[in-house]
Amino acid sequence: MSAEPSASPSRPTRLRVVHRTEYRYSSPVSDGFTLVTLLPRPTPRQEVLSAQLIVDPAPDEREEAVDVFGNRQIRLAVHRPHRSLEVTADSVVDIDPPSPAAGRWPTLAEAVELTRCATGPDALEVDPFLRPSRLAPRLAEIDAFAAPLADPNLPLPDVAAGLSTLIHQAFRFDPDATDVSTPLAEVMAGRHGVCQDFAHVGVSCARALGLAARYVSGYIETSAPPGQAKLVGADASHAWCSVWAPGVGWTDFDPTNDQAPPPRHVTVAWARDYADLSPLRGVLIGPVSGQELTVAVDVTPAPRP
Amino acid sequence: MSAALTGYQPAGAGFDEAIDAAGRPRPHWREVLTALAAAGRPGLAEAFVHAARLRDAEGAGHLVVDRDQRDRHEDAWRLDPTPFVLDHAEFGALARGVAQLVAVLERLAADVHGPRELVAAGVIPLGAVGASPRFRPAAAGAAGTGPRRWIVHAAIDVVRTEGGAWRLVRYEVEAPGGLGYALLNRGVTARVQGLLLPRTGPAPVHDHLAALRHALASAAPSGVASPRTVLLSGGPAQPGYVEHSYLAGRLGYHLVESGDVVSRDGRLWLRALDGFEPLDVVYRHIGDGGVDPLEAGEPGEAGARPGVPGLVWTQRRGGVSLANAYGVGVLEDPAVRASLPQVCSFLRGEALALAPLEPGPIGVGLANAPVFDGEGLAPRPVTLRLFAAADDAGVRVLQGGSGFVLAAGDDPAQPTARLVKDVWVVGGPSRKATVGSSAAGPPQVDFSRSVSRRAAEALFHLGRSAERAELSSRAARVVGDQLARDAGVVSLGGGGWARGVHGLLRAARGAPLDWRDALPLEANLRHELDDAVAAVAGFVAELVAEASHVREFLSTTTGRVLGRLADERDALAHGGAGVDHLDLLLVELAALAGLANESTVRGPAWRFADLGRRLQRALGVLGGVEATLGLAVEPVALQPLAEALLAANESLVAYRRRHRSDVEVHAALDLLVHDDTNPRALAFQLDLIREHGAALGWAHGAALADEAARAANAVVGERAAGGRRLDVDALVLACRAPLLALVDAVNARWFADPVNPVAVRGR
Repeated sequence: MSAEPSASPSRPTRLRVVHRTEYRYSSPVSDGFTLVTLLPRPTPRQEVLSAQLIVDPAPDEREEAVDVFGNRQIRLAVHRPHRSLEVTADSVVDIDPPSPAAGRWPTLAEAVELTRCATGPDALEVDPFLRPSRLAPRLAEIDAFAAPLADPNLPLPDVAAGLSTLIHQAFRFDPDATDVSTPLAEVMAGRHGVCQDFAHVGVSCARALGLAARYVSGYIETSAPPGQAKLVGADASHAWCSVWAPGVGWTDFDPTNDQAPPPRHVTVAWARDYADLSPLRGVLIGPVSGQELTVAVDVTPAPRP
Repeated sequence: MSAALTGYQPAGAGFDEAIDAAGRPRPHWREVLTALAAAGRPGLAEAFVHAARLRDAEGAGHLVVDRDQRDRHEDAWRLDPTPFVLDHAEFGALARGVAQLVAVLERLAADVHGPRELVAAGVIPLGAVGASPRFRPAAAGAAGTGPRRWIVHAAIDVVRTEGGAWRLVRYEVEAPGGLGYALLNRGVTARVQGLLLPRTGPAPVHDHLAALRHALASAAPSGVASPRTVLLSGGPAQPGYVEHSYLAGRLGYHLVESGDVVSRDGRLWLRALDGFEPLDVVYRHIGDGGVDPLEAGEPGEAGARPGVPGLVWTQRRGGVSLANAYGVGVLEDPAVRASLPQVCSFLRGEALALAPLEPGPIGVGLANAPVFDGEGLAPRPVTLRLFAAADDAGVRVLQGGSGFVLAAGDDPAQPTARLVKDVWVVGGPSRKATVGSSAAGPPQVDFSRSVSRRAAEALFHLGRSAERAELSSRAARVVGDQLARDAGVVSLGGGGWARGVHGLLRAARGAPLDWRDALPLEANLRHELDDAVAAVAGFVAELVAEASHVREFLSTTTGRVLGRLADERDALAHGGAGVDHLDLLLVELAALAGLANESTVRGPAWRFADLGRRLQRALGVLGGVEATLGLAVEPVALQPLAEALLAANESLVAYRRRHRSDVEVHAALDLLVHDDTNPRALAFQLDLIREHGAALGWAHGAALADEAARAANAVVGERAAGGRRLDVDALVLACRAPLLALVDAVNARWFADPVNPVAVRGR
């Protein structure tokens, strides 16, 4: 499954994302804390025109901060009994189509060497993304899996595209096979999972090759152009990977949909792995007996003025 | 004065702490070696055993909760009665090294969570910090958003090489442990060595608590003049809990568990009896991953999560200070540790005084010190743990520490620590001078009125369990005595006595009356006596468990009594000890009650423990009266039955002195129900419950006690039916209802506060 960019290469695509999450509790919760990473950040290819978070019931506390990776985080707290919590993120972004690299793409060997020896701002850029992380640990299976791409002369875009295809072909998308706590080793063994899992596989493979790689969370457009299949993961938040190309910058690839670079993805945040930036994370205090979660994501082309 | 007198022989040519290369005792060891020689092996062996006993006594109550652990690892941790002696001047150099290290770590923490100049300049290898699993993104932020201090206290492990140089093997900054144990050890060795070792003695260690208190206070958010500090612990399930409660007690801080505090409106609050009380500094003994379930932990973990949700954001906003600050754990990452020498040169333009130990074969190339292992003095390598407290004025190092004797094959950075030495610094200036130099910290806000709801609840249950244990023990003891004196008592009054005492035993432990007609009288009763002993073991276990949650409210002596109670419980539960054993237990329970009354300040903590005891005693008296005097038995059975009731409630002697006659129902009722001069009577309990209600400003509680008192004044006539005295039953029922309502009301008013953090997440 792959999709060609439907917009003209020169014009940005305008997309509106509405991500609605509702928790229903079987008995009233007296205190609830929620950390939200749902509002998109600007990137070189993405301009954020508007982004707002609507919360019901109205939170007693709400504060915003930018985390160390530059992501927007919002902390909410409701300190009175409530039976449900509804969080709606509503954003409009303009996304530029992928453009040719400004510099010369390095080969894998060059990229690894330049990354390893980076100093100054480049060092700060790659430092967090070089080593295995909690959800993307170093595994012998990952080393073996990524081995076909360990060609020192391969240009970096081909490495990213190669990883994307490799994972796409080897893994089966199965939302019932894993959940957010499934370890990478199990994903590797079963060769199945969802976009978060594939993004962790991609990030781990890239790091195993010696590259700096980060985990990206965001969305993809729901409405596929006529005649093309709807993209997987369209009705939920999505995740993909990005690798550092010294001299050029970060370049994304989406192993779930085998797109490198992904044409119209809405970027929300990035970090070392999902542990750093789950879209919504909450803690309840009170006699919690049960909870029900509903998530609805709508990504639609937005009219331009 | 020769080393040979001690039988100590250095091993080979490497550095020996006590003996120089020429075979002469080093000057700072002379006094100790002389004393050891005088004590001889028998003296040392005795001191070794004595130290173990004292350490148990000193820590008993603390160690109670570690009992299972102790049982699993017999002698998991023994104290070597011979100290590790350091010359004052040499210790000074070591302390300067520690101070430099802590200063470097402080700047390192600030840099890696802020501008990251060390990363950009390549001083720290790429990926060492940012990509470390111990790096907490939420700890990092723009300049000026970091905590006031990253490191307030630290533990530093060093070893001496065979060449004589000190080397760094490890440091702890995330949740440094061992300070409490080091102080506890000094308390024990000071007493052992009073018998054994020289009069000059080492530099004192306990004034380090003042330095630590000062450092914690000065870490408070800016503008707080008189900060409130609490010690955050993982609770009795955490291995270090013994030391946490010891330190909290010594420092005068509340020991809190995650559920005792709440983050709200940019501040941190203690859930106290009368609402939230603000906190300023959290002396945390929980790692980065456990302080805030909103930040850390593994994704996908559903269910209960430890930690205080929002604590990290509250620290980021400057509403509270964590000591040490959230995120410092990354400094313990091996890759960061390895880069310290370069970091030190870069930041300070000087070499790291405590150079890291060069990697090599484990246990080779280290200096030795004399170690007494129970048999004799032998040369063994030792890892020294030193403790530092830091504030903006500088770093203070405890003048002493702990020495972990390395077993064969031990990694100096991970000693198995079966044998621990006290560390002595000798030859320094006189004590007065050093004590006077420690700056006085601002006073803590008086916490005596603030008790966390959890602690109040634990104290309430502690009081109830103690009373249950006491009443059940005494009832079983009395019934057992009567049976032993005359087995014929069983059939008195057609089994009336047997039924009555059977009910007495059951009422004492709060079990419903349940007479099994199918069983023979005596079998029924013997069965019940066994159950009573088992119930006592259960009550004592509950009491010890509740006490371990509020250990810092209880005195050292109380701790010792708790330790003995735990031993008695073990004997009851496992040793097949019978009714006779209950006498020993009753003595310990009396000691506990005496300490509660004579050694406890009348604050809210005491009131809740006493309220629990009084409520339980009131219910116990009523239950006993119902089971015995409520039965319409023949006079021949009534006599021993009423005596059993009076004796179980410690009132038989009073009855005899007052009436000098056979027991009569109304007189017994009078003494046990109405007599407000009898500390075992219902009326006496109700007076105290009313007083507690008034002191706590709790009118509802006092009103319920009044209601019970009015019901107790009902006239008791002679009506009987179905083998029961109806008026006694009516009195018991009418009194009991408001008391049961009172138990519910205590829970609802003071304790019920669901604290049960559960993680939720969405994809």
